[in-house]
Amino acid sequence: MSLRLLTKSFVSQRISPSLFSRFYATKKYTASHEWISVDNGVGTVGITDYAQNALGDVVYVEVPEVGTEVELDDVVGVVESVKSTSDIYSPLSGEIVEANQKVVEKSKLINESAEKDGWLFKVKFSSQEEVDNLLDEAAYTKLIEETDH
Amino acid sequence: MLAQRFRSAANGFAAKSLSRCTLGRSADQLKDLPPVGYINLGLVDYRAALALQKQLCRRRIDEIYSGPHRRRNDPGERRLSDTIILLEHPPVYTNGRRNHGKVGDAEIERLRQLDCDYVETNRGGEITFHGPGQLVVYPSLYLRDHHLGTKCYVEGLENTVVETCARVGVKAEALKGFPGVWVSPTQKVAALGTHVQKYVTSHGFALNCTTDMRWFEEIVPCGLEGRMAVSLQRILEQMNGGEAPVDASVASITPTVLDSFAQVFGCNVRPLEEVSRDTFELIHEILHNETMK
Repeated sequence: MSLRLLTKSFVSQRISPSLFSRFYATKKYTASHEWISVDNGVGTVGITDYAQNALGDVVYVEVPEVGTEVELDDVVGVVESVKSTSDIYSPLSGEIVEANQKVVEKSKLINESAEKDGWLFKVKFSSQEEVDNLLDEAAYTKLIEETDH
Repeated sequence: MLAQRFRSAANGFAAKSLSRCTLGRSADQLKDLPPVGYINLGLVDYRAALALQKQLCRRRIDEIYSGPHRRRNDPGERRLSDTIILLEHPPVYTNGRRNHGKVGDAEIERLRQLDCDYVETNRGGEITFHGPGQLVVYPSLYLRDHHLGTKCYVEGLENTVVETCARVGVKAEALKGFPGVWVSPTQKVAALGTHVQKYVTSHGFALNCTTDMRWFEEIVPCGLEGRMAVSLQRILEQMNGGEAPVDASVASITPTVLDSFAQVFGCNVRPLEEVSRDTFELIHEILHNETMK
């Protein structure tokens, strides 16, 4: 056991800075209730837990195609809850590098795990300024509170 | 629960079973909701109405999010208002987003042979029919101003239909898990499907007033087997045993729908030209351009 612990700490010391930052990916938000986990030039995007709750049971999801070039605010997907479709916007300009097919097959993932397994797509972003303009957690929490009260 | 019932009674709802009438909003939030303008467009081709909604929605989004970094601007800076579009469509079958490309060419051809268009749209829900005698209601609301999430908004639309039916003496309800509004577990009086873009709504609901119900026999409405559509006219006739004449025409039901909408959503509903001349003119301009195509 102690040996294992030693090995682990040895490895962690040699982790490259980029890998290290992976564990500390910054989470940002949009006013339209998307979350963006920013790490190493790539933003992973999903809808917030607050949004999934406001939508109700999700019955259908569309995600963008990998390789698509998107502009900030382009419609890149759709989430359908009972009787209503809601557009998903890209919070960043760039290229779609990955899309979550699991959520397409099992749309309930959005309700069960909106901010983790229910991620929608990854965008390799082209503008750091756009990232900086996103809301941080405190600003997003404040926005939700304003909406609710 | 008791407080809820008391509030319903105080608000004078005709419907007995409205869930959460204020749609979860506080008295403070209800106090200053923006006025909603209604416009009656008569008979409009489905594709033209679709283009109208799309353009109106885009113009509203452009205006609302014209602040720095495309943030929301101040409501006082907006010229376009919330709008309820009322109309009827010539016969058309329409399908929801998730069924895009899923209806085969042969089936589409069969439907078109009935002298009826088939259109795939971006709303939620599945296949339905629109035609003369059916009151179609397309609200364009900016949900943030109304402090509503999508789920509560849809509930508000359902409550609007339930209240409308109650006022003409028909008991209807929204069934959990089954879209639309029902007068019995197998009879659906209104279909419902919406699209929300940046909190701006489009599409809405379609209430069968005097619709020729034979159109629905050609499809499985909303993908629900063993359930059928019904019109207010037919229910009212059944209720009074055909003894007295019944008028459930679109023209006679429209004011009731608008009153019910205002009551359920807690907002002021007035003619669009009074609420926002700009929106009124924009709608006519778009429609004019679309019908000239």
